[in-house]
Amino acid sequence: MTTENTGVRKTAGDDTAAAGKPPSVRPRALAWQRRRASAARFWRTYRTHRAGVFGLAVLTLFALPALAAPLLTGSDAADVTDAPGAPLESPSAEFPFGTDRFGRNLLALVIRGARVSLLVGLLAAVLSVAIGTLIGVTAGHFRGWYATVMMRITDWFLVMPTLVLAIALATVMSRSLLTVVVAIGVTTWPTTARLVRAQTLAVETRPYIERARALGGGHWHVMTRHVLPNVMPLVLAQTTLIISSAILAEATLAFLGLGDPTVVSWGGLLQDAREAGAVSAGHWGYLVPPGIAIAVVALAFTLCGRTVESVLNPRLGVSR
Amino acid sequence: MDTNDQYGGRRRIPGRARLVMAACAAALTLTAGLATPLDPAPRQAAAADDGKKVLTVAVAQSVDSLSPFLAVRLLSTSIHRLTYEYLTNYDPEDNRVIPGLATEWKSSPDKLTWTYTIRSDSRWSDGEQATAEDAAWTFNTMMTDEGAATANGSFVANFEKVTAPSPTELVIRLKKPQATMTALDVPIVPRHVWEKVGDYSKFNNDKEFPVVGNGPFVLTGYKADSYVRLKANKDFWRGAPKFDELVFRYYKDQDAAVSALRKGEVSFVAGSPSLTPAQAASLRTEKNIRVNDAPGRRFYALATNPGARAKNGERMGDGHPSLLDRRVRHALFMAVDRKTIIDKVFQGHAVEGAGYIPPRFSQYFWKPSAEQELAYDPAGAARLLDRAGYRKNGDGERVGEDGKPLTYRILCHATDPNDKAIGQYLQEWWGDLGIGVTLDCLDNVTDPWLAGEYDLAFDGWSVNPDPDFVLSIHTCAALPATPKDTGATDNFICDEKYDELYARQLAEYDPEKRAGIVKQLQSRLYDLGYMNVMAYPNAVEAYRTDQIESITTMPAKAGNIYGQDGYWSWWSAVPADSGDTGGGPSSTGVVAGIVGGAVVLAGLGAFVAMRRRATAEDRE
Repeated sequence: MTTENTGVRKTAGDDTAAAGKPPSVRPRALAWQRRRASAARFWRTYRTHRAGVFGLAVLTLFALPALAAPLLTGSDAADVTDAPGAPLESPSAEFPFGTDRFGRNLLALVIRGARVSLLVGLLAAVLSVAIGTLIGVTAGHFRGWYATVMMRITDWFLVMPTLVLAIALATVMSRSLLTVVVAIGVTTWPTTARLVRAQTLAVETRPYIERARALGGGHWHVMTRHVLPNVMPLVLAQTTLIISSAILAEATLAFLGLGDPTVVSWGGLLQDAREAGAVSAGHWGYLVPPGIAIAVVALAFTLCGRTVESVLNPRLGVSR
Repeated sequence: MDTNDQYGGRRRIPGRARLVMAACAAALTLTAGLATPLDPAPRQAAAADDGKKVLTVAVAQSVDSLSPFLAVRLLSTSIHRLTYEYLTNYDPEDNRVIPGLATEWKSSPDKLTWTYTIRSDSRWSDGEQATAEDAAWTFNTMMTDEGAATANGSFVANFEKVTAPSPTELVIRLKKPQATMTALDVPIVPRHVWEKVGDYSKFNNDKEFPVVGNGPFVLTGYKADSYVRLKANKDFWRGAPKFDELVFRYYKDQDAAVSALRKGEVSFVAGSPSLTPAQAASLRTEKNIRVNDAPGRRFYALATNPGARAKNGERMGDGHPSLLDRRVRHALFMAVDRKTIIDKVFQGHAVEGAGYIPPRFSQYFWKPSAEQELAYDPAGAARLLDRAGYRKNGDGERVGEDGKPLTYRILCHATDPNDKAIGQYLQEWWGDLGIGVTLDCLDNVTDPWLAGEYDLAFDGWSVNPDPDFVLSIHTCAALPATPKDTGATDNFICDEKYDELYARQLAEYDPEKRAGIVKQLQSRLYDLGYMNVMAYPNAVEAYRTDQIESITTMPAKAGNIYGQDGYWSWWSAVPADSGDTGGGPSSTGVVAGIVGGAVVLAGLGAFVAMRRRATAEDRE
């Protein structure tokens, strides 16, 4: 099977082997060597995908200022009491995008907003994929009534309109970042669960799983040592792809006024702009930068996700 | 292996869908950024095809009920002002009480019997004469039927008996003197129509049109959250309105309403909620649009939970116990910089708060004296908190005797941008004092509010020319009977001294003396520190001068147009000669926007195309 030549699973096998032997440095060093080699191979293939490289570059472009935001914008950029400008100033040399309704520098807010949007996007995607993987792997492994029940629950979530469910959740819970993360996380996992279960079923039919069972490997051992490493590439690609929809979902919820109004995020800025009447007043600096940022970052994550997917899953791509 | 095929096959579509979505999002953002409409020729809302003059008003508020016995919202009560006559009306010049359905009135020497003379030149729209009998029946129904007392029951609570000895004479006998007898804001309904209604608590008066009335307009059509249509009453005793039809059309989004005004689809944008400073500023530069920025009749306050309880003494809710200390309440308000709120949040479209009643009602307006005033003084606030026993700990947090840091929840309306903006200021101002603030912005604030489950809350009421109602909502009598009931109370204030003053002003017939007592009431309310008025927001509204030539504001000098105490604005509005449509809004912005949008779209399109070419090889 093609996935076997991705270094990850081999490593897992080596570790198991190493456990039985007297302590020796060599297998561990070997493992690291293999990891490095596979990472290099991954990067070589990744590099050949122009879109993927473009996506990565865009992400770096957004992530670096976001990480360095306190240094770039000063720690009080989001404070309303000592806002530097007058409310809703037009773009100028001092404020390239103008100011918001409090007189804060919009450029600084867009940079700060990136932190929240990226953080929520990442956390929500991780939560979503974690739930999906847990349910997918266990449903694929245990089969029987457990799998039936779990898959019906998955189907139920799959047919629920995600946004409506997320809005309902965000409405009943108190308004905070955690709420948004949870609302997105618990509504977007079913696709991952379905994908991971399918892959788990495929992996579990392989002879070496039977061998592991015959040697006394329990459920936990099989799932964590054999199944999980094999579904990891899929999970990784899925995470990258879900991040972009999570960012869009976060922006949507914030735009609909379901986010925490005291936290600066891109969707929140759009909502503020709408409430301040910036649309009809023509204050483009209030609307366009966060809007473009949302679209571009979502696009970049999608490009990266698709590239990672086609590198890791040879059936899709050119990896040989 | 087919599981893998399934995996490989289904990834494609969502991937591309995301690309398209991303492109659409970018395009949407751009077009949304184009403020100016794409249709440069304004469509005429004022003149319909058949030559009828139609006045279209953009509104956002839903109608709660079209029954005068149930309606309490501003739009619904405004419609009732237009379709039914009240006993008295208010002069648009100066809010003075002037004749309405009643031409004159007098009280007996014992102040308990009021006699009104009903005019004989007012006819219902079905041809019947409007008489004192209709008025008596309306009041009697409200006194005997609990369902009919829902909206205006407070006016008749003190009535003993209402009779109509003749078609032009109405006699009201009171239990106690009542100062609001010339300000009975109760629509008088036609008895011969309303007698047939079964349950007044359920009947919404929105099934059969036209609705019989005797106001300057007749209600001819209504569709929930879509439109309310009224036809001019040509036989109205004060004179027919100049427009033939009045339509309230719904725009749930204020920006959409502003665009519609720019295009000329609507003649007027209601200032409820007010236009934002940005919208007002951009509309001011438009030709043919006039922005009316007038002192409003609302106050905007920060209400403090006084330990909510019901009339039976049972406690309810979970207000913070520290707020029962007046020093803490005063300290909190002293840390609120009202000037910044006016300058930054309202951007000058409001007046700094002082007493409870807005300065527009000059007769009742009260202002704290210099030594009484809780002026902005963060240092003083900190000292006051220290004295109250809430000192700062090592982390800079104020802690009480129980060692818990002070953190307050502020109930805010998720739909009100001002609440959210001021909430952020409070968070920082009180944060400097060492007090934590959680903003609870909810779509439905009513439930926690009625249950007393808040510490502080953003609050506001429209004040009528007669202030009795807004004063009555802070009396002990307004508390709910039990924690399960709903009372008329605003935020559970119950103070003996206040109640005493309230009863005195209600029984005082001398306007001067009554105004004096109302001022004392406001002083008491100010000192209690449960209602901290931060601002009196202006009514900011706009209309097209090429569709409406003139319209009456109330009060005449610097007054509002939408939501008046009376029918003056729509009754007096004069249609403009529709010959001059004027030039459309400047088209350079539109062109620049379209070009910009097209460039970005083309760029994205090219990128997607390239991307597809690149993956074409990958796919095989």
